[in-house]
Amino acid sequence: MSRTPGTVIAVGRTPPRFRGHGIYLDGTSAAARATALSFDDATGELVLEDVGARWPYDEIRRLRDQAGGDQAVLRLADDPVRRLVLSAADDIRLVRSRARRLDRAPRVRGRGRLAAWGVAAVASVALIVLVLVPALADRLAAFLPPGGERALGEATYEQIRNALGDDMMPLEVCDAPEGRAALAALEARLTEGAGLEVPLTVHVLDHEMANAFALPGGHIVFFRGLIEEAARPEEVAAVFAHEIGHVAARDPTRIALRSAGSIGVIGLLLGDFAGGALVLVLTNQLIRADYTREAEAAADAFAHRRLLAADLPPDGVATFFERLLDETGAPEPHSFARHLSSHPAMGDRIAAARAATPEGRVFSPALDADQWAALQAICRR
Amino acid sequence: MDETASSSSPGDARSTTWPGGAPAANLPALPPPPPGLLARFDPAADSLAVECVARRRPLFWLALRTGALTVLTLGLYRFWMKTRLRRWYWSSVRPGGLPLEYVGLPGEKLLGFLVAVVILAFYIGLVNLVLVFASFSLFEGSVPGFLLSFVGVIPLWFYARYRARRYVLARSRWRGVRSGLLPGAWGYALLAMRMWAGTLLSLGLLWPRMTFRLEKYRTDRTTFGSVRLHQQGDWHMLWPAFAHLAAAAMLSLAAGLVAGGGEERFLWFWAVTLPWLGYGLVRYLVEAKRLMADAKRAGPLGLVARPKVRRVLLIYLLGYAAAALALALPAVLLAILAYSLEVEPSLGDGRSPTLLAAGGFLLYVSIVLLWGTLRHVFVTMPLWRHYARTLTITGTASLPEVRQQARDEFAEAEGFAEALDVGAAI
Repeated sequence: MSRTPGTVIAVGRTPPRFRGHGIYLDGTSAAARATALSFDDATGELVLEDVGARWPYDEIRRLRDQAGGDQAVLRLADDPVRRLVLSAADDIRLVRSRARRLDRAPRVRGRGRLAAWGVAAVASVALIVLVLVPALADRLAAFLPPGGERALGEATYEQIRNALGDDMMPLEVCDAPEGRAALAALEARLTEGAGLEVPLTVHVLDHEMANAFALPGGHIVFFRGLIEEAARPEEVAAVFAHEIGHVAARDPTRIALRSAGSIGVIGLLLGDFAGGALVLVLTNQLIRADYTREAEAAADAFAHRRLLAADLPPDGVATFFERLLDETGAPEPHSFARHLSSHPAMGDRIAAARAATPEGRVFSPALDADQWAALQAICRR
Repeated sequence: MDETASSSSPGDARSTTWPGGAPAANLPALPPPPPGLLARFDPAADSLAVECVARRRPLFWLALRTGALTVLTLGLYRFWMKTRLRRWYWSSVRPGGLPLEYVGLPGEKLLGFLVAVVILAFYIGLVNLVLVFASFSLFEGSVPGFLLSFVGVIPLWFYARYRARRYVLARSRWRGVRSGLLPGAWGYALLAMRMWAGTLLSLGLLWPRMTFRLEKYRTDRTTFGSVRLHQQGDWHMLWPAFAHLAAAAMLSLAAGLVAGGGEERFLWFWAVTLPWLGYGLVRYLVEAKRLMADAKRAGPLGLVARPKVRRVLLIYLLGYAAAALALALPAVLLAILAYSLEVEPSLGDGRSPTLLAAGGFLLYVSIVLLWGTLRHVFVTMPLWRHYARTLTITGTASLPEVRQQARDEFAEAEGFAEALDVGAAI
């Protein structure tokens, strides 16, 4: 039945003319019509004889990604509904020999509109995450009652313990009694007469990072790394006072509320698979505590006042970070020191700590030798 | 100007220069129609069997290629992947030899996703923040907030699913005629929540009612050109389909309760009742589809569905087994790599750890990619093919009276379903 046109030799004045079959769908009803097909090479058109339609060769397109491969569904480039179904391999091949643009992709319209929407979408998500959510979080933080703030702090504290823990176990809490006692002594000295609205809850966690941060509701967390890196108790005291400053200003509450709002949006963009990564992002945000420069300056000023009132030197923080940088040459990646050294205002803050320390004044030690040894050993048992 | 030559109406085209100057009489005789579609084409047929030409090999390559591009573009290509796969799946189904056509575009899907992201970012960002705040202020804990936030998303799921269905139907055609789904997504979400509540409160006994009512809601709003579908029957007709599932579930529950009461040997009942439960579930899904398809009407048009429970069960069992088996090799490789690094970290010392991590990541991505592809090839497509081939459309002599309907522009496409990850299987 099927001719093999590769071997056909045309003899005579003109080659045999093509006649083929197709089924025509007119796009106005669900009626399907069989039609004979022929070529009109003079005008460059495919003639749908029984329909009376003529399709210019250059306008004919074939639908793509079709299963089966035995049929070809043809359309006109600018006609959204009319279709012509060919089902003989020869007919398809012959049509292809005339319709040179058969496999060209259909025109894509509205690329500009798409780009505009893309930009608008990115801009509005950025607006929501970077402006609206923080602004609302800052307003709401002021209205969070102390009990709620405390619960929020406990929730984030547990979250951090779990996220930084290993093998499904949360981070160990360091609570050697002598060490706790030393820390309590330091706390009492720093908070005496400070008029804090919320009582402090101080935690030490067994993690090697040299870090300390404040959480909502008066929680302050030290990592073992910070206590071990400190050369003298005054350095711990200076960091402690700084974190109390954040607690007094309720900075952590704002940060925690902000991340509660933005975490869902990030999850939305990245999809479900990033759920695990998301918790890490949140944790990172909390413990890095990217406060504004004003918030840092205010916490520093608070710390300087508290330290002087407690007869402690405000420049403890300066020597601590300078020594950390000297020791390692370059700051370790991901360390607290690196984070701080990358902070543009850090030099200013060290200088401010120096300036706040009256020259020649003799301070009383933050802790005695036994207390300091006990604090440094708080994670040993 | 010779107006007859430029006209395209039948009479005019023949009158002067047809075709291209040669007298019509010079055309060769029309060759006999080729075997296949045209030989069997009968415009007057009153029932059309559905053919399906889906094959594994071309689907494998299409799914693998588009999946790889999706991975390489960090997910952006997934709108193109979905479009191309749907074009393929749709075109494989040929009621009466003429294929379905999917005309959705990747660009509109991307656009819809962007629109949905903006709206959802606002909702999720600000609403979640307020909920967390309220939850901690009033209850001093995050659980009420999370619960409320979760409950708040539930109607959105149903809403998104209906909207996605509307988009897909609006972009589907057969014999050149558009299908469609009338607006009604919020009503659907409301009904779905009512039905779910009833099903949960009745411990699952009202599941057939939910199946029927939701399907009826969707069907009664579905159009094919100028005709509107109608779901006939009522939910009691699903009871026979539900019997196995209900019996197996009740026996499993009873055995569990007795075992929980101290008689632990009753757990052995589960060895029988749980596989039975699986069978009952598949049976229910297949039989409910069949019963409801048979009771669908669109004017004089109707459906006769004859899917086989056993066949569907086999496709699920063998399909997932085949996909898992084909995945075993790269998965074992990954496991060995991970394990050897765990027990012998020095193995990685000589080599760059970044290189090892990259290798592991690549292997992981290829497993995810391969799994998606194999699921198409061994599960989704065979099911699709089986449901298609066991379907017959009746009353098709009336098809010429079905008129075209206007295009449903629907710029949002399936953006919400995409963003909320509740999209259709394909």
